[in-house]
Amino acid sequence: MMKDGRLPGAMDTGLYIAASGMLAQQVREDQLANDLSNASTPGYKTDASVQSDFGSMLLANTASGQPIGQINTGVQLGTPVTNMTPQSLHSTGQPLDFGIAGTGFFAVRTSQGVRYTRDGQFAEDAQGLLVDGQGNDVLSQNGAPIAVSAQGTVPASSLGVFNVNNPTKQGDNYYTGAAGGRGAGVVKQGELEDSAVDAVNTMVHMITATQTYQAGENAIQTIDSTMQQSASSVGSLGG
Amino acid sequence: MLEGLYSAASGMEAQQAQFDAVSNDMANVDTPGYQSTIVGFHDLLYSNGNYGSNVPTGAGAEAEQMGRDQTQGAIQQTGQPLDVAVEGQGFIEVRRPDGTIGLTRNGSLQLNNKRQLTTQTGMLTQPPITIPAGVDPSQVSIASNGTVSVGKQTLGKLSLVDVPAPDGLVADGDSVFSATAASGAIRAAKGASVQQGALEGSNVDMGAEMSKMMAAQQQYSMGSNAINYEAQMISIANQIKP
Repeated sequence: MMKDGRLPGAMDTGLYIAASGMLAQQVREDQLANDLSNASTPGYKTDASVQSDFGSMLLANTASGQPIGQINTGVQLGTPVTNMTPQSLHSTGQPLDFGIAGTGFFAVRTSQGVRYTRDGQFAEDAQGLLVDGQGNDVLSQNGAPIAVSAQGTVPASSLGVFNVNNPTKQGDNYYTGAAGGRGAGVVKQGELEDSAVDAVNTMVHMITATQTYQAGENAIQTIDSTMQQSASSVGSLGG
Repeated sequence: MLEGLYSAASGMEAQQAQFDAVSNDMANVDTPGYQSTIVGFHDLLYSNGNYGSNVPTGAGAEAEQMGRDQTQGAIQQTGQPLDVAVEGQGFIEVRRPDGTIGLTRNGSLQLNNKRQLTTQTGMLTQPPITIPAGVDPSQVSIASNGTVSVGKQTLGKLSLVDVPAPDGLVADGDSVFSATAASGAIRAAKGASVQQGALEGSNVDMGAEMSKMMAAQQQYSMGSNAINYEAQMISIANQIKP
């Protein structure tokens, strides 16, 4: 208890610091589970959350009020960063499978507007146009739908490759973002881009996240028993 | 944590769909005219604010049926006069007992008790073709455009048809497909022909199927491990005493 009767600043600060760490690991674990589920998804890119610390706070000596130093107040999560590094292409032999070697995206027209994707697993629809797995038209460089030839093929040069600034994942292998001109990558026919998920690494990160979570829980237990001690034992007669 | 559990589970379900497709393909490695299945994967909607964190996190993956591999299967000579192998993009038009139209590449034909040409499961060709009594099947000749004749007498023609989007066809079993809105309407096939006395083999590539199966198995068990780690986190949280 300080001289003027106030409780020392947040005895339970430690609890909240540990809890913020645990929350960060929970979110990380969910991101990793999502990555692992998408190990077969063509063109899938992994997410990583930027973790930074909250502002630090000043600690003071409870008796004299003398500042003794700073502690950080836990972990906060920034917006996730998607690792857009192009992966290698594997050959499928399917005439309407395409992969982009290098950077850039395919564009499709959905009912909500133009979306971008790295997944080039396309098909022909009943109108003879090139569509993706959701049935949305794939676009050429000038934004028009692409017709499939009578032999069921499309030349790789017909597909548009677009640069996208700040791509954001939407699900269904789509990204939104502002178009920034022609992408630098080259379209290859009969090939699909591998998922960027490295399953072994992802599993190791999951183990780390679980252990860090456990460490946070241990910290909470320890602080809890410390508080119990100070609440019950300190200052008790004969204790 | 629950979100992560469901993500991992959805990944396992997607791999299960791949297993199912591979098993079906492997079972049909000897079915004439069979085309192997193609499965695609995509990720699911990202949502913000799990646990109040404002971090968009995905919800796992999903598999979808992308269609069939259109690669021509190997032509095997059988010497049976009523066997036809379809070459090129197209199907033989058949009629089901309920009157609806089906498409098939399984050209292993036979005669029913009315001496009409049918598939192995008894579906008539569309339009039906009857071989007159007294004519042995070895006297029947089937031209590459499907015309069925005995000597100089034309008995009918196998209808070779196609759809604009074969990936949209629905498989009904018995080697027969139905047209749907996604596939477009049935129209005459361009560039398809038949070869009498031969059958098109299944285009299932066992090597590729085994690779797909092993990859699916790997990812299925990783999904299971992911579920274990998520469950561990939940039980760790449960140990924080109130």
